[in-house]
Amino acid sequence: MDRLIGRLRRFRRIFILLAVIGPGLITTNAGNDAGAIATYSQAGAEFGFRMLWILVVITISLAVVNEMASRMGVVTGKGLADLIRERFGVRGTVFAMLMLLVANAVTTMAEFAGVAAALQLFGVPKYVTVPVVATLVWLLIVRGSYPVVEKVLLSIGVVYLAYIVSGINSHPDWGAVIKSTVLPQPVASLGYFLLAIGLIGTTIAPWMLFYLQSSVAEKGIPNEQLPYSRADAVAGAIFADLVAFFIIVAAAVAIHGTLSPDRLANMQAADYARALQPAVGPAAFVLFGIGLFGASLLSAGVVPLSTAYTVTEAFGWERGVGQRLAEAPVFFGIFTGLIAIGALAVLIPGVPLVQMILLSQEINGLILAAILIYMIVLVNDRRIMGRYVNGRLANVVSGATVVLLVGLIALFLFSAVPGSPLRG
Amino acid sequence: MLFLTEILGAEVIDVRQRRAGTVRDVTVRVQEPYPVVTGLVTSRRGELVIPWSRVRSFAAATREVALRTSREEVEHYQADPRDVWLARDVLDKQVVDTDGRRVVRVNDLQLAESGGSMLLVGADIGLRGILRRLGIEGVGKSLARLFGRDLPMVLVSWDVVDPIAQGTAEGGAPPGDDAVRLRISGSRIAKLHPADIADIVEELGAKERRAVFDTLTEEVAADTLEEMELEDQVSVIEHMDAERASDILEEMPPDEVADILTELPEDRAQQILGLMEKEEAEDVQELLAYEEDTAGGLMTTEYVAVPDSLTAQETIETLRRMEPEAEQIYYVFVVDPEEHLQGVLSLRDLIVAPPEKPIRDIMIRNVVTVRVEDGQKEVAAVLSKYNLLAVPVVDQEYRLQGVVTVDDALDAVLPESVKRKLPRVF
Repeated sequence: MDRLIGRLRRFRRIFILLAVIGPGLITTNAGNDAGAIATYSQAGAEFGFRMLWILVVITISLAVVNEMASRMGVVTGKGLADLIRERFGVRGTVFAMLMLLVANAVTTMAEFAGVAAALQLFGVPKYVTVPVVATLVWLLIVRGSYPVVEKVLLSIGVVYLAYIVSGINSHPDWGAVIKSTVLPQPVASLGYFLLAIGLIGTTIAPWMLFYLQSSVAEKGIPNEQLPYSRADAVAGAIFADLVAFFIIVAAAVAIHGTLSPDRLANMQAADYARALQPAVGPAAFVLFGIGLFGASLLSAGVVPLSTAYTVTEAFGWERGVGQRLAEAPVFFGIFTGLIAIGALAVLIPGVPLVQMILLSQEINGLILAAILIYMIVLVNDRRIMGRYVNGRLANVVSGATVVLLVGLIALFLFSAVPGSPLRG
Repeated sequence: MLFLTEILGAEVIDVRQRRAGTVRDVTVRVQEPYPVVTGLVTSRRGELVIPWSRVRSFAAATREVALRTSREEVEHYQADPRDVWLARDVLDKQVVDTDGRRVVRVNDLQLAESGGSMLLVGADIGLRGILRRLGIEGVGKSLARLFGRDLPMVLVSWDVVDPIAQGTAEGGAPPGDDAVRLRISGSRIAKLHPADIADIVEELGAKERRAVFDTLTEEVAADTLEEMELEDQVSVIEHMDAERASDILEEMPPDEVADILTELPEDRAQQILGLMEKEEAEDVQELLAYEEDTAGGLMTTEYVAVPDSLTAQETIETLRRMEPEAEQIYYVFVVDPEEHLQGVLSLRDLIVAPPEKPIRDIMIRNVVTVRVEDGQKEVAAVLSKYNLLAVPVVDQEYRLQGVVTVDDALDAVLPESVKRKLPRVF
C-alpha cells in the first residue's frame, strides 16, 4: 500500500503541473517564433526604446486575452472554432476561417523564411534548406511524430534567454529604458504605426489563441481549477514579453543609430544577430542562427497542423493524422497546402526574407482585431459562459486592444495617403 | 423538401395581407421517430410564437409564410418551455450519426409535411448545406458539373441522429438541457458497439464526453473505456462521480483498473478504491504493488485456474459455472492446493479427452512461465518465441500470480506511432 501511495504521489505532482500550468506557458513561449524575433529586433533597431511602452500595453493585453481563451476552453470544453460556429453560424464561421487561413498562411511563410534566413547565416542556400525542411515537416506530421519533435524544438527556445544576458551586458542607459517603458513616445510615421501593428500581431498571434483554447479544452480541466489556468496565462504572458523586452533593448543598443535608413528597410538576419554579441561575443551568429532555426521549425509544423484541426472542427469534417487521406481530404489538404504555399513563397528568387517575415506579422495584427471581436462577443454570452462571462477589467482591456489596433490601422492608412504630413 | 434555413428570415403575412413579423426560429415538440413542428418564433427575444396550426402555407420562392388568421389573434400565444428551438438548439451543433458512427455538424435541417403536420425528418451534414447557407448552392452545383461531378446531398435521417448533451457552463446537465429534451427514448449512442462509442467519444470535447458517458450503462461504459487510450480513460474517470467511477471500474479487468488508478491524483484513487467491492479492490491493490514495466505490472489476475484433482468433465463444468471472459480462456491453468502451477490445458484438450480422465494425465507439464519481476521486453520475447496467446506469471515459489496476454504485452512494448498503423485485431 505504501508503494502504491508513493507511485500515486509521484504522478500527481507532474499531472497537476502539466495539466493546468502548461498550455499558456508553452503556447506563448512557442510564440517566440521567426516573426516575433524579427519584429522585436526591428523595433529596437529602427526605433530604439520608443516601442517599449507598447510592449507593456501588449503584455497586459496578452495576459487578459490568453486568460479569456483558456477560460472559454475550461468552461465550455470546446475550441474557439467550435464556439464561433455554434454562435455565429455558417457565414460568420466562413469569414473567421478565411481570416485565419490568410493569417496562418503568411505566418507559415514567415516560419520558412526564418528557417531559410537562419541557415543562410551558415552559408546554406535557401534552395536547399527550404525543400528539405518542408518535406521533413510534412513527413513528421503525417507520421504523427510531431509531438515528440515539438518538445525538442521547444527546448531550443531556451537560447533566447541569452537576450536577457545580452540586454544587461550591453549596459543600456537604464534611465532612458525605464522612461520609455512608462511614458508613451510614439513616432508619427508610417513605419512606426505599421511595426506597432506587427508587434501586437506577433505577440498575440491569432493562431495561438485557437491553439491555446483547444489544448485547454482537450485537457478537461474542471471549473474549480480556473485560478490555476489564470495564473498560467498571466505567467506565460509575462515570461514571453520579458524576453521580448530584452530583445528590443539589446537590438536598440547594438543596432539603433548605426545603420542608414536604407539599410534599416532592408535588414538581414546577420544584422539582427549583432544584438547577441554583448552576451556571447563572436558566437552571436551561431546562437542566433540556432535559435531562429529551432523556433521557426517548431512553428512551421504547429501552425499548419493547428489550422487544419481548427477549420475541420468548425465545419465538422473528418480530421486527425490517424485518418486515411481519402477519409479526411480537407484536413490533409489544409496542412499540406499551407506548407507548400509557405515553402514556395520563400523560394521565389530575390524575395527579401526579413521583410517578408515583418509583413506577415503586420497582417496578423490586422486579422487579430477581427478575431478579438469574435472572442469578446463569445466570452460575454451567458448562454455559453454562464456565470463565467467576462468581468469589467477583461472587457476594458480586450476592448481597448481592439480600439488600439483599429486606431493604429487608421493612422497607418492616413499616413499612407500621398501628401499626408505623417508620410516619410 | 423544405430546409430550416429557407424558412428562417421569411416574412409572415396574415390573412389580410399585412406583415406579421419575420421567422426567427422554428420550434418542435420531441416525439418518436420524428419531432413535430409546433410553431414559428417571430420576435427577437422569442416571446412570440405563432402555432404551426395557424400557418396555411409557405412559399419558398417568395419566402413568405401565409397565416390562416389575422395578426391580432396570434400575438397572444406564448412559447412552450418544453419545445426545442431548432436554430438555437440544434443548427450548427454537433450530433452523432449513429448509422455512420461518427460525429458531424448540423449544416441544415430538413422538414417534410406528413399527415397534416410538419416533421423534422433529417439533418444535412454535407457541403451542400454549407453552400446553401452562404447562398451559393447553385454556384457550387454548376462548378461541380463543370468538373463532371455531382454535388450530392448528404442527409442523415433524424431517427439515427443522437444529439450530444451540451456541457453547460455550470458543469453537468440540468433537466431541461437541450440535448436531453431532444431525445425521449434514451441515448442511441448507447446501442452501438463499445469500439464505435470509443471512436465517437474520442472526437468529442471533455465535457461532451462526460455527458455521453452519463447515458451509458456500467457494462457498456466499462467496455467503451477499455477501447480507449489510457490518457482518455484517466480524463473520463477523473471527473466522474466517485461512486459511479468505482461501479464502472469493477466491470473492467483489474490490470487496466490499476493502470488508470496509477495516473489519478492519490486521494481520488484512494476514494475510488474504497468504494469498489472488496474483492475487486484487493485484486487491483495487488497489481498496483508491481512496477509498471514488469510482468507483474502487465499481468491480469483474471485467469482460469482449476485444482489438479479434477477430471476433464468436472473441469468443463467448473468453466461453465465461472463463465470466464473470452480473453481469459485461451488456456486453463492447473494448480495444486497451494496455488503452485502444475500444468496447462487448452480447451481443445479438455473437449476431446474422455470425460472421466483426470486432467493431471492430459495436461502439459512443462509450462512456459515468466517471473513477476521479469521486464516487459522479456515477456514479449517469450510470447513471440513460443507463439503464445498468453503466458502465466509465477513468483519465486512457482505459485501462479497472474497472466500476461499477448495484446497487453504488445501494448507495452510497441511505440505509439507503430501501434496506430497496425490493424486493430484485439
